[in-house]
Amino acid sequence: MKIIIAGAGEVGTHLAKMLSFEKQDIIALDPDERRLANLDNYNLMAIQGSAIAFADLKRVGIGTADLFVAVTPQETRNLLACMMAKSMGAKRTVARIDSGEFIQKNRKSFFTEAGVDSLIYPEYLAASEIVTALKHTWVRNWFEMLDGELIVVGVKLRANAAIVGRRLRDLGTISGFLHVNAIKRNRETIIPGGNDVIMENDVAYIATTREYIDRVVELCGKTRHHVQRVLIMGGNRIAAELGKLIGDKYKVKIIEGDLDRCRELADLLPYCNIVNGDASDTDIMDEEGVGDYDAFVALSDSSERNILSCVMAKELGVTKTVAEVENIQFIAEAESLNIGTIINKQLIASSRIFQTMLDSDVDNSKCLALTDAEVAELEVQEGSKVTRRMVRDLGLSTDMTIAGLVRDGVGHLVNGDTRLLPGDHVVVFCLSGSIHKIEKLFG
Amino acid sequence: MSRSRFQHINYPIVLRMIAWLLLIEAFFMLVPMAISIYYGETRVAVSFGVSATITVLSGIMMTLFIKPTSQSMRKREGLLLTAVVWVFFSLFGMLPFLLSGAIDNVTDAFFETMAGFTTTGATVLTGLEHMPHGVVFWRSMMQWIGGMGIILFTLAVLPMLNVRGGVSLFNSEVTGITHEKLRPRVSQTAKQLWLMYLIFTAVMTVLLVLGDMGWFDALCYTMATVSTGGYTTSDAGLWAMHSTYINVVVMVFMFLCGINFTLIYKVVVRGNFRAVRFNDSLKWFTFVIILFSLSVFVYMNIMGFGKDVGERLELAVFDTLSSITSTGFASYKYENHGQFISLLMMTLMFFGGMAGSTSGGAKIDRMMVLIKNTRNELYRIVHSNAVTSVRVDGKSLPHELVEKVIAFLAIYVLVFVVVAVALTLMGLPIFDALFTSMSTLSNMGFGCGVTDGVGAYAALPMGAKWLLAFEMMVGRLELFTVLALFTRTFWLKD
Repeated sequence: MKIIIAGAGEVGTHLAKMLSFEKQDIIALDPDERRLANLDNYNLMAIQGSAIAFADLKRVGIGTADLFVAVTPQETRNLLACMMAKSMGAKRTVARIDSGEFIQKNRKSFFTEAGVDSLIYPEYLAASEIVTALKHTWVRNWFEMLDGELIVVGVKLRANAAIVGRRLRDLGTISGFLHVNAIKRNRETIIPGGNDVIMENDVAYIATTREYIDRVVELCGKTRHHVQRVLIMGGNRIAAELGKLIGDKYKVKIIEGDLDRCRELADLLPYCNIVNGDASDTDIMDEEGVGDYDAFVALSDSSERNILSCVMAKELGVTKTVAEVENIQFIAEAESLNIGTIINKQLIASSRIFQTMLDSDVDNSKCLALTDAEVAELEVQEGSKVTRRMVRDLGLSTDMTIAGLVRDGVGHLVNGDTRLLPGDHVVVFCLSGSIHKIEKLFG
Repeated sequence: MSRSRFQHINYPIVLRMIAWLLLIEAFFMLVPMAISIYYGETRVAVSFGVSATITVLSGIMMTLFIKPTSQSMRKREGLLLTAVVWVFFSLFGMLPFLLSGAIDNVTDAFFETMAGFTTTGATVLTGLEHMPHGVVFWRSMMQWIGGMGIILFTLAVLPMLNVRGGVSLFNSEVTGITHEKLRPRVSQTAKQLWLMYLIFTAVMTVLLVLGDMGWFDALCYTMATVSTGGYTTSDAGLWAMHSTYINVVVMVFMFLCGINFTLIYKVVVRGNFRAVRFNDSLKWFTFVIILFSLSVFVYMNIMGFGKDVGERLELAVFDTLSSITSTGFASYKYENHGQFISLLMMTLMFFGGMAGSTSGGAKIDRMMVLIKNTRNELYRIVHSNAVTSVRVDGKSLPHELVEKVIAFLAIYVLVFVVVAVALTLMGLPIFDALFTSMSTLSNMGFGCGVTDGVGAYAALPMGAKWLLAFEMMVGRLELFTVLALFTRTFWLKD
């Protein structure tokens, strides 16, 4: 697939690196040569040029591009670039935007007609991911299909979990409703076989269906908390979108250092309490009674500060913490520090692009990018390779596994004897660098 | 784990890669073996067979016994691999010379092989017309492989190098200031470049055969020309054939192979003629060729070289092209008429062809940057507050790049002088030492005075041969890749 990425900022650079790792043909376009220099040693082509110059778009061969992704800092520039790219022959276009106004469903046809096929609003996606995290406090990651018919969760397992210390093949009856897809141990994600043992402090990625979710909570040694009070540190765009999404469902307090921004937020979010102050200041934290909150969401500009204040909040007795960590290198550290859920805009944007890659109709599929793996939902196509044999005989490579499927509106787990049928929606768990193989199997 | 003073370098992965590359080399050795069999040279065929077997076995042994625990290839591994692979290739590539008895000692054999792979074309052999065909073919073929690049070939045919490390390998082997890619993935770029190279080779061979050259000679000369290497199939060389047609064909291909392959690809495959119009270094390249050809031509007319004006013109253009592209086909003994032309040739070698071509030298692109920057500096002496930039192809270059180019040229001259001094220490006359050093560093292979003439390098002392072999490698990999290995920071943590 030929993918052109306009804008080599944080998101663009990450996308370019990751997609080149997925064996796609990547061309990165940016006016700043120094930013392109970061991509020098990656297997892609970096070209200096503007996303909104006809000549430069022509130079990168826009006419033969399968996907055009505009992720420059300016929203209007991205939209314009996509319109130009589409009119010059790009098959699909994706623009990054930064206002909620554009993503409303009834505006979609306007953008499609203008030549912008899909919109990515990372801040909104991040906010919805936080909402999911607040709803399911016992998990690290939550991925559901069809309103929870099939669920894949990432859970940190402590010594009290019933499945710790057992070989996967010895799980017995449990394996009827619980399928361990992957284990993250010591910063490495593995797809386990029957002989692998689940150990304490592993993060296990478990698939299950709607009716057994309570049993899974129990087997993982977790209890569910009902979040009522949420404290948000930092009043950036994610916080604003989060406030809008939550509405009056929870009691929300936002601590923000900049007074003008506080006023804006107060205007925007009538249900939230806005406090002016520095949330990393222990006095303020004390004063606002951090310990009384069920959830703490750290969304400041500094990843380090977010990580540390989450650790602090945890010590003060907050049950669920969420940290925005923009440095990908820090994510592994943050995970080992027991921060509940980590939000990263680059990963969120990658998820959307993967979706677009796997299925041109984004609304039909979902994808969740983890640091070194992806969970993707796909529809099995008529006549595709996977429908020819039973799962055990497909000879799937060791870096992927089929977690489960939804057939006729009912979720099922998948084992070796399952035979996939066209029209099934399946969830695939695969390690980074192998998502391109999925296309061949299911397409 | 104890703390080591040394940098952690993933040696197993480097050796694993080399093992794979050796398997490729062994495969290449089968071609001259087939040639030997065709000409009924049993002994030579056997020596190629044995060499290929040794190479394959070494490759397999290295693959079997060295198990890399990590696949990570970073900067250090990449640089080390790119440099060391040329040494390994030469060590194994010299086996056929030794086993067939064409060369009787390791020093000469290594020198000859390195001169082959680096497309220098300096030779210790005489009596080429009596040499077995297999040996002669292998010399040309080494140049052909080395011209486009060992690693570039591997990137094109084998997917295993096509990881992150592969890109830094590409960057350290392909010549030039920056490395323009043709296609998004490095393997595709490598494939396109090799495809162009193959087409050039095929077309030129056919053209030479049409000019009444035997197909064996035609193929050897073609490989030596498109790689800008300069090995011949006889002591007398091309010029002795007295065929203007052949000379013109060779000239055309020397010129083409002195041009950036990426540029040619754009024009030929994509039909992008604008790329030519806006390419400054192509203009400079052409201009320098015309200027020097004319100077040589005028000088020859004044001094009364050769038979007639026609021959003088042919000689002038041929030698200019042969020098600037660092091919090094010899034509005429100039020394009898003073050293003016020799010095002009030496200057041309220093210039070199365009970056991204198979030619050697410091590359005309860098010269262009140097001269444009010098002009700016001079301008600033008068207008001390002026802000200037070096513009290439209509765009101004970042300052760091200009600095890098100037550093490159300074180091180039430094290496050139140091080796020349060492050569005078070994008893060479001053001009011969300077000329030989420049010719070797620029991968040209011409000699002068004591090193002039076919096989004259054989007379050099042993130390000089090893030194020159090393200099060839430094020149081929454009200094930084090899010289970085001799820095403290490469090996030590501090």
